Amino acid sequence: MAVLRILSNLGDTKYEWDVSRVQQGDALAVAAVREAERIFAQQRSKGAIAFKVWPGRSAERLDSFDPQAEHVVIVPRVAGG
Amino acid sequence: MENPSDVSAAIPFLLFLGLVLVFFVAVSWRRHNTKLELAHRVAQDRAEALLKVVLTPEEYASLGERGYLEVPSPSQPTRTYCVPRGRGRVAVQENGLIVESLCVAPVEWLPPGDVVLTHKLMIEGDEQEYLRHANRYRLKVPTRPTAPVS
Repeated sequence: MAVLRILSNLGDTKYEWDVSRVQQGDALAVAAVREAERIFAQQRSKGAIAFKVWPGRSAERLDSFDPQAEHVVIVPRVAGG
Repeated sequence: MENPSDVSAAIPFLLFLGLVLVFFVAVSWRRHNTKLELAHRVAQDRAEALLKVVLTPEEYASLGERGYLEVPSPSQPTRTYCVPRGRGRVAVQENGLIVESLCVAPVEWLPPGDVVLTHKLMIEGDEQEYLRHANRYRLKVPTRPTAPVS
């Protein structure tokens, strides 16, 4: 399962899809990944920043949606305090 | 002009009406606050669970013990960022000494665990962008790390 998490004041909101089912053309899985892609684009347009994450490894910035990425976290932009 | 006795007769009724109004406002305010507190608690629990997923067990334990997360700089091998769990600036260590503090935060309110995660991801994934947004305060005298810089 791949997961996209959006951080907000509610904690993280999670969107999941099954990569192998997407590759098989499963309609529900394809719809789920399209929805994740739409949310990714919407968040990016608001200035949020996406990262691919793995435990024990450095995060990697993600500028375009990657349906193969296993774990993506989108954070709000930062500003000087 | 109304009869003064009519007006004085209406005062107890108006007082009662006022008290009823105050009571309903207080009850709805309390309900609203309870809902907010519950939402904050749920958000904090989620943020804590996500930290456990993203950090290694060693990083998570260290964050609990020290009160800050050490994030090595991807560009400078001698530099480490110390991200506090609560309020406070991010301390920048060079060769084990704090030389600078950074004032930078997400633009919207996040639970404390998610704030730590945001700093970590920004530092690891786009350190230059992170530093570009931060207000930087250079310390006149480098100090040894003890607690997060406030």
